[in-house]
Amino acid sequence: MVEDNMPDKKTVLICCGTGCLANNSYEIYRELKKRVEAAGEDISVKPVLKTTGCNGLCEKGPVITILPEDIFYCKVKISDVDEIFEKTLLKGEIIERLLYLDIKTGKKVKSHKESEFFKRQKKIALRNIGQIDPANIEDYIQRGGYRALKKALFEMSPDEIINEVEKSGLRGRGGAGFPTGYKWKQAKKINSFPKYVICNGDEGDPGAFMDRSVMEGDPHSIIEGMIIGAYAVGAQKGFVYIRDEYALAVKNVSRAIKDAYGRGFLGENILGSGFNLDIEIVRGGGAFVCGESTALMASIEGRVGEPRVKYIRSTEKGLWGQPTVLNNVETWANVPVIVDRGAKWFSSIGTEKSKGTKVFSLVGKVNNTGLIEVPMGVTLREIIFDIGGGIPGGKKFKAVQTGGPSGGCIPESLLDLPVDFDSLDKAGSMMGSGGMIVMDESNCMVEVARYYLKFLSEESCGKCTPCREGIRRMLEILEDICAGKGREEDIKLLLELAETVREASLCGLGKTAPNPVLTTIKYFKDEYLAHIKEKRCPAGVCKELTSYRINQELCKRCGVCAKKCPAGAIFSKPKSPYVIDNNKCIVCGACREACRFNAIEVMGRREG
Amino acid sequence: MKIKIDGLECEANYGEYILEVAKRNGIHIPTLCHTDALPGQGSCRLCIVEVIEGGKNKVVVSCLYPVTNEIEVLTNSDKIRRMRKNIIRLLAARAPESEHIRKLKEEYKVPEEKRFNVDKGEKCILCGLCVRACEAVGVYAISSVNRGITKKISPPFEEPPEDCIGCGACAQVCPTGAIALKEFEGKRVIWDKTFELVKCSVCGNYFTTREQYEFLKQKYGLEAEEFLCDKCRKKSTAQKLVF
Ligand SMILES: Cc1cc2nc3c(=O)[nH]c(=O)nc-3n(C[C@H](O)[C@H](O)[C@H](O)COP(=O)(O)O)c2cc1C
Ligand code: SF4
Ligand code: SF4
Ligand code: SF4
Ligand code: FES
Ligand code: FES
Repeated sequence: MVEDNMPDKKTVLICCGTGCLANNSYEIYRELKKRVEAAGEDISVKPVLKTTGCNGLCEKGPVITILPEDIFYCKVKISDVDEIFEKTLLKGEIIERLLYLDIKTGKKVKSHKESEFFKRQKKIALRNIGQIDPANIEDYIQRGGYRALKKALFEMSPDEIINEVEKSGLRGRGGAGFPTGYKWKQAKKINSFPKYVICNGDEGDPGAFMDRSVMEGDPHSIIEGMIIGAYAVGAQKGFVYIRDEYALAVKNVSRAIKDAYGRGFLGENILGSGFNLDIEIVRGGGAFVCGESTALMASIEGRVGEPRVKYIRSTEKGLWGQPTVLNNVETWANVPVIVDRGAKWFSSIGTEKSKGTKVFSLVGKVNNTGLIEVPMGVTLREIIFDIGGGIPGGKKFKAVQTGGPSGGCIPESLLDLPVDFDSLDKAGSMMGSGGMIVMDESNCMVEVARYYLKFLSEESCGKCTPCREGIRRMLEILEDICAGKGREEDIKLLLELAETVREASLCGLGKTAPNPVLTTIKYFKDEYLAHIKEKRCPAGVCKELTSYRINQELCKRCGVCAKKCPAGAIFSKPKSPYVIDNNKCIVCGACREACRFNAIEVMGRREG
Repeated sequence: MKIKIDGLECEANYGEYILEVAKRNGIHIPTLCHTDALPGQGSCRLCIVEVIEGGKNKVVVSCLYPVTNEIEVLTNSDKIRRMRKNIIRLLAARAPESEHIRKLKEEYKVPEEKRFNVDKGEKCILCGLCVRACEAVGVYAISSVNRGITKKISPPFEEPPEDCIGCGACAQVCPTGAIALKEFEGKRVIWDKTFELVKCSVCGNYFTTREQYEFLKQKYGLEAEEFLCDKCRKKSTAQKLVF
């Protein structure tokens, strides 16, 4: 079910995920379809056209794949449709221009699967995405879908299923890495009905789109996982909680639920097994904190999405006080594969304590951005430099931020860290839901900490003191430091506040919120000291602490900087190097970007 | 079951909150958002304690942590004192005008604030008790709005709340005296809304607002006789019982 199951028939897969749709991929589909239909008898084998979910390469979108040759085109425009039809579909010719450029080797590749970006990945959760039409249940079934459900219902007892999931070593992909099998076991044990299963599709991390892509591109994998889980724990009702902005995810999951009912996979007496399950969709409450388990359940119950203490676990008293299993989208999508191929196979992938794969959204200062799925245990270096193709513009790597807004920044010295739940934790960061933002030398780490704290200060629900007031005061201090008003004792105060926020806050948001500050202080303390003591921002980001100077020896007098300066602050006398008038400079950095000789130096706060 | 609080052996019932057990055994843990009538917020975090269970320490709020094992509790460890002091410092920067918070500040020797931009004129610590109290009355006149650092307690549209009956329950539970309730010349003002007070037809003292009286009458189906304040009603009931 994980192997590729390529049709022999000529098929064109056109990505119609949110990213590609925004770049007119649906029009491309329609145009191509028109061409194919108009051609009628002219083509010997009429290609099948399919719209798929997000391929995770939105920046290169719209993307299309032509099977069985597996030709992969990116950045396709409507104006390319004729040529694709004439050349590739009719004559089998490849259009160089549209091929994927493998940054690592500098070569164009016919199939993106030949690129470094893809070669090192392993797809389990994303097994079908981009390969099937998410609106077509047949596509899913053809690739082995719902086979695991049949096995679970007719060949396994609920305890056997739970055992299998437990033995597989699957841990929750929504953040904390809680062992899924153990969670199910707890819920199964409690003799109180009704029980519920919930899929957490809130995905509030800014910039993350792992879960969206699964919900849009392969909704049946989640539904199949939920049916198996519900059967195992004895739940008869399930909810898919989807972030409100995810319109296409809502549409595709709704359609999938409807089709699953139609095929007897949902509803009463599923496939004649005697087991009943209903699943419905709930639209998210629109706040980051609504992804937190207790806030999410409050939101489903129709109350304000605020967390509550959970000294009693949701598996005992969850939704409406009843035993509830809440798992993340990606967690659920892994379940059918585990049941189908067995715990042994699954647990052969990954590290000792983190099994299987993890989906990441790799973004920031890295050449290949997009969704990737890798076995647990690959190193950050492999992800950033092999899969991600390194840092653009020949710049130097500085840090990678993992785990979403309340994750931590990991420095170069830890790049050989194998990525799994425990090692990221140990580094002061976390797996979170799988955000990965690469930063280079032009990122200021104090500013990065400030940025995340600002986000968290707005997204904290505001219920408990340490989180609401603590984040706010930490932010106040960071803003001061960035503005050149930092004080010597600030670092100590930040660490002290961090302890209180982390230990005394009510929910996971507050408990993790200090991570961006703690890790940047731990690994980039010199940047804090430069801001506080020398009144200088080494990265040249904090405007109050930055001025520019043109290095007279490096300046080749090309004058590019003077042309680019929007403030007219750069001038020259004949035959002498260019100089910056600090009184006119607005510290926008345009000159520094423009200078090809690295002649523009970052200095401290301007004098006077 | 037996648990140990600050070295003292205490008897606890399964599921009982640490705070209750401590109270019964004369151990004081400071609280703000907890009242016996309206438990369960867990918002102020002042009542944090350390729980040692299976060799591991964790920080929990004593007002909501149920005893289910033979645990050891530290209500006043260095760590707890340090964090409690920080929490009071944060609250004091947020609500500098509250007498109660000022006292806590003195008690925990929190120095005068020199680093944070202290909020001006604020008394509310956003504990949420007032909203709970109003809900308990059955009125739902006020609620918390916004989230994060802009959160506040407010009537709808920040106007005098239409549904408010002026009962004053919110002002009564507020631990920091943040809700102004003024009475003069037979009137009560709360949430910028003015209520007419009614007099007890026996003793002649003002005792409630007309709106509250009507509300209770409707809610409990009381007969519309004269206005009786609590004291006089008790007296009259007692008299009825005697004769
Ligand atoms: C502030 C906050 C936001 C969260 N947001 C999400 C989210 O968007 N999606 C998600 O699956 N889990 C999120 N979580 C984690 C959930 O609380 C919960 O642990 C998870 O959904 C459980 O599923 P899992 O065991 O499969 O990971 C969040 C947690 C916190 C504290
Ligand atoms: S930083 Fe901007 S304003 Fe200043 S010299 Fe360079 S281009 Fe001009
Ligand atoms: S005084 Fe008004 S707002 Fe306060 S509890 Fe009574 S009804 Fe609610
Ligand atoms: S007004 Fe008083 S009771 Fe209401 S939230 Fe503020 S501090 Fe708590
Ligand atoms: S939407 Fe097409 S690659 Fe993401
Ligand atoms: S009294 Fe326990 S959290 Fe407020």
